[in-house]
Amino acid sequence: MDYLVDIFLIAVGAALINNFVLYYFVGICPFIGVSRRVDMALGMGGAVTFVISIASFLSWTLTTLVLMPGAPVTRWVAGFFMPADIAAAVDLTILTYIVYIFVIASSVQFVEMYVRKFYPLLYKSFGVFLPLITTNCAILFACLIIMSHVVGVDNPAEAWGLGKSLVLGFFGGVGFTIAIVIMAGIREDLDLCDIPEAFKGAAITLIIGGILAMAFMGFTGVDSGLRAALGGAP
Amino acid sequence: MTGVTIGLSAGILLSMAVVLTYVLGWANKKFHVDVDPRVVSVMNALPGANCGGCGYVGCGEYAEAVVLEHETVTKCVVGGQSCSMAVALIMGVEVGETLPYRPIVHCGAHYDDRMGRHEYRGEKRCGAANLVTGVQACTYGCLGFGDCERACQFDAIHVIDGLATVDYQSCVGCGACAEVCPRNIITITPFKSDQVLAVACSNKDKGKDVMAVCKVGCIGCGACARISDVFKIEDNLSTINYDAYTQECTLDVMKACEKCPRKRLVFVGIPSREDQEKARDLEAPDIVEPDFKTTVDDTEWRG
Repeated sequence: MDYLVDIFLIAVGAALINNFVLYYFVGICPFIGVSRRVDMALGMGGAVTFVISIASFLSWTLTTLVLMPGAPVTRWVAGFFMPADIAAAVDLTILTYIVYIFVIASSVQFVEMYVRKFYPLLYKSFGVFLPLITTNCAILFACLIIMSHVVGVDNPAEAWGLGKSLVLGFFGGVGFTIAIVIMAGIREDLDLCDIPEAFKGAAITLIIGGILAMAFMGFTGVDSGLRAALGGAP
Repeated sequence: MTGVTIGLSAGILLSMAVVLTYVLGWANKKFHVDVDPRVVSVMNALPGANCGGCGYVGCGEYAEAVVLEHETVTKCVVGGQSCSMAVALIMGVEVGETLPYRPIVHCGAHYDDRMGRHEYRGEKRCGAANLVTGVQACTYGCLGFGDCERACQFDAIHVIDGLATVDYQSCVGCGACAEVCPRNIITITPFKSDQVLAVACSNKDKGKDVMAVCKVGCIGCGACARISDVFKIEDNLSTINYDAYTQECTLDVMKACEKCPRKRLVFVGIPSREDQEKARDLEAPDIVEPDFKTTVDDTEWRG
């Protein structure tokens, strides 16, 4: 029961309360760049959700198996060179950034080739977005959140498992989609408006993004209320 | 300890590089998609304006359609005849006769000719103004807020005295203006010569109603249709059958032009040499050169 409540809160938190775009301000470049039309925004949102889910799976796996102190693969390899108790303390967390970027870029490349071969229609609809988001900061950010919940957690029982990581990744992508689609809807109507010359283009979009972020501030604190209502441990 | 950490880091990154390179290289071969080399050469033969005049999203889509779906090679309006020839050469097909397609604005009323025009304080866009009533009495005619002017990438259509006017010398016929016009009064028409005849009105109301809203609109009297078969009255509006319209019927057509009580049959297109000669002596505003002494702020910036 507690686990389900946790999952639910992580999902709501990633999608609405701590929305990647409107709370943490990551992934702004596609948010400004591809929010001109609602259908394009949906395509971009779908692609980001897809990639972010894959990336969270890979980052959780690599962190637990290789990078964190006492990870099984590292301990096994280091065991050949030093006594077992020192080998268990080898810490490779400094490698997280470079490994994540490396893995995300390669997996997106792989997925792109796969989709191009077997799903030409899907490739046509979001193939152009895939290379754009290989190094999108929202994706790296999701990996880093997952890392912070796996490495250096005081109580080992609180460390995130694969399920929670995937939920965070997927619903982070959903939150991104929500934000970019709202933005695209507003920008479509903006075409009918007479915007002062100085505000045209990216400027007015950033201002709207700011106002949207203020609106999303209304969700702050909803998570603790939800937790109390669902009867989970505080 | 430190040495081992460094060694392990290097080892892990190196092994990841080896594994991922192998996987990607394998996938590249396994999932290889053959691209027809003709698509690339057709793509290079196209002008690359990505204007959408052919009906496809961009030049790339059109190139694909030409090669894979045997789309006709004459659809590119920007490249014109030479481009069609180049594409036809690549595809090994013959080019039929191609006509340049150009927009015609089916409205001829300037501000003075429009009745019931009221001050409009909303967004100065045709799309927005078309949503409300009372901007002007004629619900068919040009609104004059210049959505077409903004849509044009070639600076070839301008609102002059409240009426969208095409500059046929810069126009390439991409059709962006026709698409954006909320009242659909711009049509893309084949030009069999430099100048073609056009009906400069879109009002489908009965003659009396037209008279009440416009000083120049077509009243659907049918005088033109009685003189030449080229004209037909549809929904109280004279229309021209461009398939039947040729240079030969000019005589009849000229007679119809004279007979038209509202003078709504006009020739549009690139001005002929005589017209240009005639217009040369007329007063026209000089093109103003920007004066850099006054427009450039050369005060030093101290940030």
